[in-house]
Amino acid sequence: MKVVAVTACTTGIAHTYMAAEQLERAAKELGHQIKIETQGAMGIENELSDSDISGAQGAIIAADIEIERRERFENLKKVEVPLQEAIKHPKEVLARLG
Amino acid sequence: MKESLQKLRQHLLTGVSYAIPFIACGGIMIAVSITMVSPIGPKGPDFTNAPWARLLNDIGTTGFALMLPVLAGYISYSIAGKPGLVAGFIGGFLSGSVKAGFLGAILAGLLAGWIVNLIKKIPVSRYLKPIMPILIIPIFSSLIIGVIMLKVLGVPIAHFMTSASAMLQSMSGGNAVLLAMLLGAMIAFDMGGPVNKVAFFFGAAMIAEGNLRIMGACAAAICTPPLGMGLATLLRKRIWSDEEHEAGLAALAMGMIGITEGAIPFAASDPLRVIPCIMLGSMVASTIAMLFGVGDPAPHGGPIVLPIAVHRLAYVVAIVIGTIVTAVSINMVKSFGRRKPDASAAGESR
Repeated sequence: MKVVAVTACTTGIAHTYMAAEQLERAAKELGHQIKIETQGAMGIENELSDSDISGAQGAIIAADIEIERRERFENLKKVEVPLQEAIKHPKEVLARLG
Repeated sequence: MKESLQKLRQHLLTGVSYAIPFIACGGIMIAVSITMVSPIGPKGPDFTNAPWARLLNDIGTTGFALMLPVLAGYISYSIAGKPGLVAGFIGGFLSGSVKAGFLGAILAGLLAGWIVNLIKKIPVSRYLKPIMPILIIPIFSSLIIGVIMLKVLGVPIAHFMTSASAMLQSMSGGNAVLLAMLLGAMIAFDMGGPVNKVAFFFGAAMIAEGNLRIMGACAAAICTPPLGMGLATLLRKRIWSDEEHEAGLAALAMGMIGITEGAIPFAASDPLRVIPCIMLGSMVASTIAMLFGVGDPAPHGGPIVLPIAVHRLAYVVAIVIGTIVTAVSINMVKSFGRRKPDASAAGESR
């Protein structure tokens, strides 16, 4: 499965990137392809392109704050979780995309 | 209910995440400008003979002044999207000018967002639709939030803020200790997560209100979880694995620059033992800092803010003792659990 994800925490210096790391690792183990955009204190990094999003079967939004440019994911199946979920149980979060 | 509370938290944290850099910029510039003209006379810092210090102070003050509009603006933005920005910024700015402070700004941001969402729902003809987001919504939502802040809520909140900060300023003895313990416990509890951020932002917002002691207590508590865990792995090498030794060194480095998250690898693998111990250490650190009047003008913690801290020696003492308490208690709990594996296993399954 191809998945896109966005992670974002309040301060944007640590948890944002930890969640991205955990999701990446879990996706690899489960055999999914994943691209993760981080919205931290540096702004948007590793930005998802239109073709990334249109080519994905689902989106994961793991954030404690309102993410930027949410409208991009309107037509995708979405799983939204607090950031801690993605850090602690990345596999379960991915599994929720079905 | 739970979901709407979660949404509310998300809106507040969005505002906070945009406001933090403003507090950092303003707080540090003002602190440095004041140290440049120290010793401070009875009338506060005197900039008459120090034009550069005054310049720095002016820039920092501007950063602070913008903090409230940004906080309110982005809370509103989180609720209502782009159309919410204007009313939020105006509400936050007015909160500053009527002296309703960060509480007023938070309320203004929430109200602005909700008002904009309500206006969005009004059915309009398709000829009017294009000018809704650029004309109608900004004007009417700002009118409403302006009237609310200037004529209805602003003054009572300002009174509340004044008396609350007077209370915080004069707080001593038992109450101060209680507050410090609570802040310390919150800081350590989820190591940089939402509970930590509530305590942290309370401290940061009080900097802008002119009270540095709350942040001082937070700053000491922020760094002891990673420092303590790091020290623990050095003190009794054999009860920690190789991986944990490595994590311990990383934790020490992160502790020095005030990143509580450094303790997460330990807490993740053994939360029931680690979290109480780091909470204990942080509570000790924040209490000592509070009792000695440690102040921190930057919304950040750990030894890295030492050069700008108030009462530096007490700050160091608070951090050192908190770190030692964390390290010794986790090592005790850890070896205690080893000797009685059955008891600890039973305790952990609960």
